[in-house]
Formats: sequence, structure tokens, C-alpha cells
Amino acid sequence: MIGQTLDIVTTAAILYAVATGLLLVFGVMKIINFAHGGLMTLGGYAALLTTQAGLNPWLAIPAAALFGGVVGMAIERFVVRPLYNRPLDAILATWGLSIIIGQLITIAFGRGVQFAESPLNGTLDLFGESYSAYRLALVGIAAVLGIALTALLQGTRLGLETRAVIMNEDLARGLGINSGLVRFLTFTLGSALAGVAGALITPLSSVDPSMGVPWLVNAFMLVLVSGASLVSLLFACLVLGGAQVLVATHFSPVLGGLTIAVLAAIILRIRPQGFARD
Amino acid sequence: MTEARRLSLILAVSLLALAAIFAGPTVLDTYSVNVLTRSLLYAAVALTVDLLWGFLGILTFGQSVFFACGAYAAGLVFTHMDFSTSNAFLALGLGVGGALLVAAIVGWLAFWHGASALYASVITLVLPIVATQLLYSGGTFTGSSSGLSGFMSFDLSMEAWFWLSGSFLVGVTTLAYIFVKSDAGRLLVAVRENEQRCKYLGLDTSRLKILVYLACAAIAAIAGYIYAGYAMVVAPELAGFVFGTELVIWTALGGRGTLLGPVFGALIVDYESAQLAGDYPFVWQLIIGTLFVLVIVAFPRGLLPVVFDLPRKLLGLIRPRVATPAASVTLSTLDPADTQGVEPGEGAALSVAGVVKRFGSLTVLEGIDFEARAGELVSLVGPNGAGKTTLMRCIADGAERTAGSIAVNGYDIGRKPPEACVALGVGRKFQMANVFETLTVAQCLQIARVRHARPSLWCRAQELKLPEAAMHVLATTGLDKQLSTPAHLLSHGMKQALELSMVLALEPRVLLLDEPTAGLTKTERMQIGAILIDLAKKQGLCVLLVEHDLDFVREISSRVIVLHQGRIVLDGSVEEVVASELVKQVYAGSGHAGIDHETAPSPRTELPA
Amino acid sequence: MSRSSLLMAGVFAAGLLAGPALAADDTITIGIPVGLSGANSVVAPSVVQSAELAVEEINAKGGILGKKVVLEVADDASGAAGAQKAFDSLIFQKKVDALISMETSAARNAGLPIVNRGKVPYIYTSFYEGRSCSPYMFVNAWVPDQQVAPIVDFFNKEGAKTYFLIGSDYAFGRGMLAFTKEYIEKTGGKIVGDEYAPMDATDWTAILSKVKAANPDAIITSTAGGAPNVTLTKQLRAAGIKSLYGNLAVDEGTAKSMGPDAEGIYIAGSYFTNIDTPANKAFLAAMEKKFGKDLKTPNDLSVPEYEAVYAYKAAVEKAGTTDAAKVIPALAEVAVEGPRGTIIMNKQRHAPLTMYLGQVKADGSVGIMSTFKDVDPGEQCPKLK
Repeated sequence: MIGQTLDIVTTAAILYAVATGLLLVFGVMKIINFAHGGLMTLGGYAALLTTQAGLNPWLAIPAAALFGGVVGMAIERFVVRPLYNRPLDAILATWGLSIIIGQLITIAFGRGVQFAESPLNGTLDLFGESYSAYRLALVGIAAVLGIALTALLQGTRLGLETRAVIMNEDLARGLGINSGLVRFLTFTLGSALAGVAGALITPLSSVDPSMGVPWLVNAFMLVLVSGASLVSLLFACLVLGGAQVLVATHFSPVLGGLTIAVLAAIILRIRPQGFARD
Repeated sequence: MTEARRLSLILAVSLLALAAIFAGPTVLDTYSVNVLTRSLLYAAVALTVDLLWGFLGILTFGQSVFFACGAYAAGLVFTHMDFSTSNAFLALGLGVGGALLVAAIVGWLAFWHGASALYASVITLVLPIVATQLLYSGGTFTGSSSGLSGFMSFDLSMEAWFWLSGSFLVGVTTLAYIFVKSDAGRLLVAVRENEQRCKYLGLDTSRLKILVYLACAAIAAIAGYIYAGYAMVVAPELAGFVFGTELVIWTALGGRGTLLGPVFGALIVDYESAQLAGDYPFVWQLIIGTLFVLVIVAFPRGLLPVVFDLPRKLLGLIRPRVATPAASVTLSTLDPADTQGVEPGEGAALSVAGVVKRFGSLTVLEGIDFEARAGELVSLVGPNGAGKTTLMRCIADGAERTAGSIAVNGYDIGRKPPEACVALGVGRKFQMANVFETLTVAQCLQIARVRHARPSLWCRAQELKLPEAAMHVLATTGLDKQLSTPAHLLSHGMKQALELSMVLALEPRVLLLDEPTAGLTKTERMQIGAILIDLAKKQGLCVLLVEHDLDFVREISSRVIVLHQGRIVLDGSVEEVVASELVKQVYAGSGHAGIDHETAPSPRTELPA
Repeated sequence: MSRSSLLMAGVFAAGLLAGPALAADDTITIGIPVGLSGANSVVAPSVVQSAELAVEEINAKGGILGKKVVLEVADDASGAAGAQKAFDSLIFQKKVDALISMETSAARNAGLPIVNRGKVPYIYTSFYEGRSCSPYMFVNAWVPDQQVAPIVDFFNKEGAKTYFLIGSDYAFGRGMLAFTKEYIEKTGGKIVGDEYAPMDATDWTAILSKVKAANPDAIITSTAGGAPNVTLTKQLRAAGIKSLYGNLAVDEGTAKSMGPDAEGIYIAGSYFTNIDTPANKAFLAAMEKKFGKDLKTPNDLSVPEYEAVYAYKAAVEKAGTTDAAKVIPALAEVAVEGPRGTIIMNKQRHAPLTMYLGQVKADGSVGIMSTFKDVDPGEQCPKLK
């Protein structure tokens, strides 16, 4: 029972870390960033380079943020910006970019699985259950991420402007907010977060050119059911991630793998706004 | 060009294409015949992607699943039941039937009233992921990751398979081409351009999308069935996301919305990849990926139009291009005996009782009660944010209001979607002129008549019959002289008039007009005013009009309803309202207290958020 | 419509005309369809290298029947659609005399109908889930019947009573574990759980929680190669599971990329670089000499490719011709001395193999613990002799 609860909480934390960047971009720009998976892979390789350079594995996180952020800036400027008025095309273009990122990584590093050192090994005893220390640490990291982003959105002028653009871009522009700048910064931040997510999953996953792809669809679905709210994303991760763990444990892991996508599709059919408040 | 000439030209070209297909195996080596046999089938699936995405605006990643439906039906039947003629028919039936069933489920999920384009795309994205997983977990029944192979199939030569695949492709391409150029096919473009306007013209766009989706699923399934018969192997990757997106890439590169672009895109890229992918496995994908992004950003119409335009531009340097005369359509007035509008019901034409509308905790309308008779011209006035447009929206779409009831011609609108409200006799003209920008005036009007005059699946009508009211508007404004002008070239006032005649072509009993005179010149305003009075008095329509211009209101209205902060503060004759102290206060106060709710987007029109 | 289609047809025809030159008559061409991209791309370069070495050695000694041997490599993208193109290209365009390749099962299955049409001998050199049969195909790698026994026998000897099986939900994973389950039950062990995750699974949380709850003496896994194998091992180690761990799908290269997490994993196979025979040492030295620092570590998928080229040479020499109808019966009779020992594909198109049990050491190399001579492949293709 305790084991299962920990499974649910840690799974939700991982999903939350993976989906936040996508959520920000979706909230502000109303597009789903298909390159998110590619940017995660980039983060994974940033982690690889960090540990190969003999640095502390925790430094992988800022390194991955830097990689993701810089590439994100370029993507926003040269691909996403010309497509502001064609949201479906923007989705397709970012998907093309994820192919390009994957192939460039393949050419640079080869197809093979790479070894990146994990920052935290072994297990911790919690409520009489010995549990993977890194997974538990991820809960803390996801919480810090969530709180930092909330503080950014609620406590700063940029956050206020971002929220204004999320609610009504035309009105925000009318009030003198530079919505182009807000979009640019949001996409950069979202891409940096994708990189961070990639670095965070490396200790659990293999580092290879398509490591980010399997996470993508679940992250999409979580974002779609959450609207543009970090709080509903947390809720969605707990509910759908929990459902995934329960289905995988009690029915079959194969069905478990489909749980988030199928449940989210049905939830959206019944309640178009998903878990968001109205 | 007459219809008969146009159609026979299309047929002639496809006969030429068929001849090329039949000559193919004698010209090409065995290798090319083999590779192209599969490419021809992939091209048929790419064609369905183009119909859905290029024409209807549904970006789909899941056409691979329907291809796999047909292929697996053949694979499963021939593996587990042996090959025989009757089993071959059974497999075809199961393949197409299975594809239709899956398409119906996806259609129900993705194309319901109010579903966003993004949501529909994401559903088609989930589809191949679920399908592949099911195939993997099918064990020895589906062959799991190894797929099924070693089954017997039709005993045909390689040439015969090439001819079969080629004829199938030419056949579907021809049919699709005739369809998209027909009156019915134009609806696809109309839905892509402006789905909202289509719904408010009484078109059940969800149904249209599902029907096209079903047809595309069936085409893909037949292609898959032929594939399995030829390749004698089926594998889960046929249903996969990668194949699904490859189809989108081919379509985008070739040129969406051109039918031939995607067909040639699929043939060329797939054939060349057989050659080049072997030599440069990683670089090839990089090239395709880069080309794809480039095309999406810089040449959204794809490469076919670019290739196509190049010689035309070069020619254009030598001799100026003669404008092609657009298909001429003759207008005529519908015989009043043939009008099909809703019969005026008993009692009020419009009755609104206790209507409430809330956005979350914000109440925009509260306790709205009024009735309006046929022949009445009622103006809704009030400051910004009073809820006028919201009230219009509630009358035209049953799902809008939070509480209360609305009856049109004595029929309760319940929770019906806009297209069903149109069927009850509601016609809504939007505040901003809302027409189909890329279509001509005549085409816009034709689409407005679709509800009454079923469009042909293969021809273009040469005659357009419009009800007298619509004809009157066209004649008064001179639009009848500009039938072949694309709507985006019209002046603002002309667009307003076009939209009004489109709404009148619906033969409504209750006409909802949101600021029909906004941005018009004085003369245009006078014209519209005269037309409205005429509609109410002569045609017996019940007209409900949102208007800011109180002078205009005074000139034309028989009655005025004043809304303030979501409530009716006054309902009376023009004189009563003009004399009212209350109204003066309302308008005087609104400058400061007015919050512009009307610009707040309704959650229903948003993405599922 | 007509003008645009003519234009495009022109562009298209130009593409078609870029045809290849045909091979000359005084050469023997061997086609290698292999996954240069996709899932197999990690191991494919090593497969191509070992084929290149075999061809170089054969040509240095006068070729086959005095003819020079030429290789044609084609990418099958590790899947069915790519394999169809690769097989079409090799058989009908490059007109190869034989196909020798390591491929995924989906790629092999997709290629077989084309092999049947083209009527060329085909030697499949990848271990697989078994029971794939074609009159043109021979297999010189292992099937579950040969691989499972060494690990289970060893675990039984170590005192394991309870087993937990974990696999990816695909043909190889299911096939291997179905056989393993049967074998464990036959030898007196008890299965306390068997679970399958989707083929591209990266999250093994629920399965690992079940393993912890069941607390088995031994775990045997058979996942898809590469990423799923790595994620499972990493997460299994992170969860602190200490049972005996046998992995049916890991090779030496993947084990290295898992770092310290791989240490202690038991693996069985027909080839490890540490095999202590003169033939293997000579092979490794020749590889080292030919490829130097570009050498991809030889493994259980690349060595059979090397041996298969020699098997084809022996069969053609025995038949005295490259005619498929004569080469095919000869392939079932010829014996090849290679790094893995003496191999004859005489058991229903499959080969009895010497199998080894190994354990991954701290430095990522595999220590051989015991050897099982000439393990029989069992009933694979009873309809073919």
C-alpha cells in the first residue's frame, strides 16, 4: 500500500517535471510544441556531457536548461514566430524540428545508448519501505519547479504580463504588453524546462537519440486536460499518473502505458475544459 | 467551359494516366515495378490525408491505422482461415468494416460540436499509438512485432499487382478530384475556412467531417488490403505513428489541397528514399526533416504549386496572363411556392423566458424575458458589456445559455447546436462580416443554399435560385453584378451585404443582426435600413437587431429593448425609450462603469482548456 | 490538372532513370540488408564489419570458384517497410547471388516473400524467437530452445526456487519468456510473476513494485534491445532489488553502456569476446588489424554474419555453382570452423550451437562461467528437412 502510494506520487512528480515546459508554451502560444521530446533528448545529452567532463551530476540540470533554452530561442525566432497565425503548421514545424534534433544528435553521438552518471544512487527507507532515493528526490525537485514557476507567474511583472497574454492576448496587447516578447521568453523558458526534464529523467532512462519521444504523447495529453494552469497540471498528473500506476499494477502494464492518453481523450470529450476550472 | 466538357477533360487525363500505368511494367525494371507498386498504394493513402487536411482542415496523424485495418484483415483471415475466394471477400469486408468502425469511434471523439482542431489532431495522434500497442499485444494472433507473413494470397504476377495498385490510385484520385471540384466538395473548403459560419448556415459540419473521414478510412483500408495481398506480409509499423506522419510529410511537401501534389509527393519521396535511404540512412532523414520544416514555414502550399507556378511566371514575363473567366452562374428568384422555410408557428416568433448566462462566477445575463412577433423589428440597445451579443448567441445556439428557455416559432430550441437552430428558422448575421474569404460571391451564396438544395457530388450547378429577400439585397447593393468576385476583394459594406443575403438565403423566420451598419457609409446604412423594414413588413420576418446608432434605431424599429448590466431595463416603443430618463442615465454612466465583457472570449470557442 | 501532372511526371521519370549498373559476371555478389538506421543501427556497423573481413579474407585466397566476392549493403531501417525496399533493391536491382543478414523479425518476415519471388539463398544470422521457415532460408544463430537452459540450470544450481519473468510485449520477448516459463516449470522452479511492458516502455515502476512484493530468488528478463533494456536495469537497481538477474536480451556493448548497474547480470549466448579458442583469437586479431580504432566490438550478432559468409562459400564450392537450387541443399551439409566453433545448419535449417553462460564484470566485460556443447535447436521447421 505504501509502496503503491509512493509509486503514484513519484510517477506524478516525473510527469509534472516533464510536462511543465509544454504547459507554459501551450498556455501562452496555444500550440503544442512537438519539439519538446527532442529538447528533452538534448537535455539528456547535456547531462551526458556534464558527467563525461567529470563534473558533479547535479550540474547537469543547469547545463540542460542552458542547452534547451538556447535552442528554444532559435526555434522561436526562426520557426515558430513566422507561424503565429497558423497554429497547426507551427505544430507540424516543431515536429519536423524534433526529427532534425534527433538526427543531428545521432550524427554527433551515434545511435547507441550512452552512459550518464546518476547523481543519486541506492534506496531510502521511508515508512518501512525501502524506495529508490532518486525517485523520492524527484518529488522534491518537481515541487521546487512548481513553486518557482508559480512564484515567477504570480510575483513578477513578467509573470503578470504572461498571465494577461494567456487570458486574452488581444486585450493584453491593447494594454501595451509586448506579447511578442512574452511569447519569445515563454518559449525559451519552456524549452529550458524541457531540457531540465531530459536531464532529470536520465538516471531512470537510457540516453539515446530518441529518449524523449516516449514521454511526448503523455505530456501532450496531460497539458490538454490541464489547460494553462500549473495547479490543474498537478491534479492531472496525480489523477492520470495514479490511474496509470493502478492499471499497470492491477491489470496489465501494456494497458497502463495507454491509460493516460485514452483517459485524457475521453475526459476532454466529456468535459472540453478538462481539469481546468471552466 | 461547360460542365460536360470539364468532366470529360478530367476523364481524358485520367485515361492517359491509366495508359501510363499499363505501359509502366514494360518500361520499368523489375525493381522499380516492385517498389512503385507499394508507393502507388501509399500515395492513395496520402490522398486521403490531403482530403482531410488540405481540404477539410483536419490535420491527421492516424491514416496509417486505416491502411493497417485493411492489411491486417487480409493478413489475419489468410493466416488463420487459409486463402480462398470467399475468404478474400470476407477479408475485404472485415477490413473496410473495421476501418469504418474505428473511424466512427474517432469521429465521435474528435468531431463533435465544439471540439477544437487541435483536439481532433491529438486524437488522431493517439490512435496509431493505441493501435500499434494492441497489435503488439496480440501475441500469435496478430504476430506481435514480427507481424504476419507466410500466408497465401492472390496468385497474380508482379505486373498485375502494379496495374491493380496503379488503377486503384488513378481511380480514387479521379473521383476525389471530381468531388473536390464539385459543389459538394466546395463545402470542405468552406468548413476549413470558416466552420462557424457553416454551422450558422445550418450545415451540420460534424456530420460532414465524419462522413468524409469515413470515406477516407475506407479508401485507406482498401489500399491496405491490396498491399497485404501483394506484399504477403503485415507488420505493426503499418499502423504506426511514423508511417502516419510520413503521409503528412509527403502531403506537405507535395502541396496540401492540390490532390496531385500529395500523390506525386508520396511517389517521389518513397521511391527516392528506397534508393537514397540505403546510401545515406541518417542524412536522408535529416534532409527530409529540414525540407519539411522549410516547406511548412516558407512554402505552406507545398512544392507542386511552386513547380507549377514557375513556368507560368516565366510565360507571364512574355505575355500577360489572361484572367480565366470564372464559371458563370445565373441567378434567379426562387418560386415562392418552392420556398422551404419553416412555417410560422402559433404565437410569438421568438420567445425568451428567464434566460441566464454566466461565465464562471461572472453573470452576463440574468432574467431575460421577452417575446417578439413576426413582422416586428426589435432593436436591442445598451452600453458595451450590457450582454447584447451574448443574448444573440444564446438565441442562435442552444448550448450557450446557463438557464432559461428559448422558443423559435413555438419550438423550444433546447440545447440544440447552431445548425439545428437554423433548421428551426433562426438566421444570424455576425458583427464582423463573416463570409468565406477565398470563395466567390456566387459560391458563398450557393453554400448558404446547401441546406435547401442538395449539392451535387460531381458537378457544379450553373443556376442558383435564391429566395426573393436575398435577391432583393443583391439587386439593391449591386452584388448581383459581382457574382464571380472572390469575397476577400469586396469592400466592407459589400461583405456585410453578402453576409446578409447569405443569411436570407436560409429563409429564416427570425433574423438576428449584430450591428449590421457598423462601419458603413451613410448611403449604405440607408439601403440596409430600407431592406430591413421591407423584410419585416413585407416578408413578415421577426428581426432582432443590436444597434448603437440610436438615430438609426429610431428610423427603423417598431420596438426597443434596453439592456443594462445583463438585465432588461426597458422594453417599449421607440418614443418611450427615447424619452426615458433611465436610458439617459444608463448611457451617461456607462462610460466609466462599463466593462467590455463582449470582447471576452467565450470558453466554448476556445481550445479545450 | 494536365499540365501540372505532366510536369511532375517528367520530374518523376528523371528520378526513375537514375538506375544502377549491373554486376559483372565474374563476381559473386552477397547482399546484406541490415538496420543501419532504426532499432538495429547500434549493432549493424559491427555486422557489416565482420562481413567485410570475411569477404576480404576470401578474396585474398582467390575468391569463390575463382570469382571475386562483392558486398552490397542496404539499409532496412530495422522495420518491415524498409526491408521491402532493401530486399527489392538487392534482389531485383543489384541481382545478388545470396542474402546474409542480421535483422529484426519484422524485417525478416517482410523480406521473405521477396526472397521467395527472387529465389535466392538467404542466411539469417540473428538470434530470434524461433520457428520462422522458408525453403530459401537458413539460420545459424540461436533460438530460445538453445539459450534458456544454461541460465535456468545455473540459477537452479544456485538454489533459486522462485522466478519472476519480465519482458517487452513483442514477438521475441513473448517467445523467449514462454519457452523460459515452460523450462523453469519442467525443471522444478516456480514462476511467481510474469509481466510484459509495452515495447517502447521507459517506465517500469508498476512491474518493479510487483517484483519487490513477490521477492523472487531470480529474475529473468527479455526486453526489446537498447533503451528498454537499459531503463529496466537502471530502475531495477535503483529500486534495490537484489535477486539473481538473468538477461536474455543484453549484449556486451549494451552492458557497457549501463555502467556499474550492469555488474552481476547473467547472460547466455553463443559468442563472447572472451571465448578462449585459437579461432576466436585469430578472428579478433584480424578484426583489430583491419579496422583498428574504428573497430566495433564483435558480438553475438556480428560473428554469425562472419561465419555465414564462409558457410555460403563452402556451399557454393560444394555445389560447384551459384545456382540457388543447388546451393540450398549444400548449405544444410557444409561445416564451418569459426570463432564460435564448428557450425552446421543441419537441424531443420537451424544449427546446433555451443552455448556459454557469462556474468558481467565491473569493467563491463563478460566473464565466461560455463560452456554447454552443441545445444540442439529443437523442432523449428518440421516441414523442411
